Amino acid sequence: MDPKIALMERAKEMEVEFIHLQFTDILGVMKNVAITIEQLEKALNNEIMFDGSSIDGFVRIEESDMYLRPDLSTFVVLPWTNYPREARLICDIYKADETPFEGCPRNTLKKVLKEAADMGYIMNVGPECEFFLFHTDEKGQPSLETHDNAGYFDLAPIDLGGNARKDMTMTLKEMGFEIEASHHEVAPGQHEIDFKYADALTTADNIMTFKMVVRLIAQRHGLHATFMPKPKFGVSGSGMHINMSLETLDGKNAFYDEGDEMKLSQVAYHFLGGVMEHAKGFTAITNPTVNSYKRLVPGYEAPILIAWSASNRSPLIRIPAKKENSTRIELRSPDPSANPYLALAAILKAGLDGIKNKIDPPTPVTSNVYHMEEQEMKEKGIEYLPGNIYEAVQFLSQDEVIKEALGEHTYEKFVDAVLYEWTEYSRYVSQWELDRYLRKF
Amino acid sequence: MNSYSILVADSSETSRKKLCELLTIKGYKLFQATDGAGAIRISRSIFPDLVIMDVNLWGIQAYEAGRVIEEDRLSTVLFITNHASKGFYEKLQVMNVYAYIMKPIQQEQLHQTVEFTIRNARKIRSLEKKVAILEHSLESRKKIDRAKGILMEKFKIPEDEAYNILRKQSMDHCISMDKMAEKIITINK
Repeated sequence: MDPKIALMERAKEMEVEFIHLQFTDILGVMKNVAITIEQLEKALNNEIMFDGSSIDGFVRIEESDMYLRPDLSTFVVLPWTNYPREARLICDIYKADETPFEGCPRNTLKKVLKEAADMGYIMNVGPECEFFLFHTDEKGQPSLETHDNAGYFDLAPIDLGGNARKDMTMTLKEMGFEIEASHHEVAPGQHEIDFKYADALTTADNIMTFKMVVRLIAQRHGLHATFMPKPKFGVSGSGMHINMSLETLDGKNAFYDEGDEMKLSQVAYHFLGGVMEHAKGFTAITNPTVNSYKRLVPGYEAPILIAWSASNRSPLIRIPAKKENSTRIELRSPDPSANPYLALAAILKAGLDGIKNKIDPPTPVTSNVYHMEEQEMKEKGIEYLPGNIYEAVQFLSQDEVIKEALGEHTYEKFVDAVLYEWTEYSRYVSQWELDRYLRKF
Repeated sequence: MNSYSILVADSSETSRKKLCELLTIKGYKLFQATDGAGAIRISRSIFPDLVIMDVNLWGIQAYEAGRVIEEDRLSTVLFITNHASKGFYEKLQVMNVYAYIMKPIQQEQLHQTVEFTIRNARKIRSLEKKVAILEHSLESRKKIDRAKGILMEKFKIPEDEAYNILRKQSMDHCISMDKMAEKIITINK
């Protein structure tokens, strides 16, 4: 049967009334166009249009007509909707002339995945996504409170966060996710839910879906979920570690080599070398907010130095102690404010560059890099990750490989948006300054 | 006199206090929330018999919060409004009990509506439970009959013997008969 007709029948069978056509903007925010079931056929024929100029980081007015092309494999009924039932489809954005729009992050990732496929590789990714659950204040605004409204009205020492997380896990399962782990994290109110690895595109879609589900279910529990990288000074921030490996087209793990001391193949070493080579360049993409860099500070299990290690958890890259098919490398710097499509595109591009140019990684570190002396670091040639988003953008602008992965349009719009934010932030007089200088001078 | 637990969710302090005062007279156990999310949090922790909710609640909208509370079976919601517009009645239709309280609040009306809503909600809940049980047993009966049919045809045995096999098997495997029937049906598909 025609897959379009099959999908329409399924939607009708499940009594779906509304369909959300979802896509992600350059800054990683999910957007959606909601249509009724009657318009589904039109949507499946790629005829749904929207005004691209009204969305951040898209286009100028004169070229604003954009078309949504639903990816049929992403059809899911949203389990928390009862009556009317709602479903979603993730879409690619196309221009009026039927070519992929270069400002659509999903197209950007697809382009790099194609490059990998041409070299004979499929990228597999498993993310570890952390987030905070906060309470609202008495006016219903999100607060930094993790316990009840200062104990004023709320009562009973019930683990509201834990219950919400359980509900999120159940909902994600109903939507076809395979949940590998779900647990409380280091900081009060901080949680982590890990789901099974998949190819890079599916994983990027899953990360967007995951964020939507977490926020929504949190709300149904009277809680506010945030993926802000560092919401509270003095406690651990939220990261989004990326576990990745390459698979050959015949289904073998290209990172595994039994003969090697660390069981890593030459391809894995070169990939690793490429990722480290471009780490400074892609940090603006994997850590795109002003706040991201407040997480990348010493003392909270977040990386600050560009180094790798087999077991130690302090450097940028770790090789987890699982072997054979699950051989992979774990990049520890990305945070959940990153646009997953662009982040994976940039990281993969860096790795592919390493394979193409046979870049060897530096020697691994074995000690805790937090305790390393400046002198030792200099000798080993270990460098710091960018210290703020401004610095990161400077490094990005010098990295032609990562810029190529993003494409000109996305690169320019991204840098514009980030620098605008940086300027605003730099001009703002913060409480910290007031506390520091108001009386002193 | 039943001592029901009631959550009063109203962002206006005056109105919240007034409501609590009037309800205390009847000896109810009272809890208070000032915003939509707070109302959900308290409902999830104590499962009150009733949530009285002002439609102009801060934060998450009252109708949204009310729907979550009833959908997740945390409690029953009774709205208070000072202006019942046309949209209001439509929203009321999807709630457990079709009742509301009009501002300014009158003591008699409040007491009566609270009692009415809680009692009706309990009746509805117990009927729902009964229906669910009946539906389940009807469903199992169908499955058992089908599994019996399969066994009868396969082994060429009479009905009571097929039933005995089914019962023996489910006892041996420590599962209910409908679960065993389900297994037999899926294996023979």
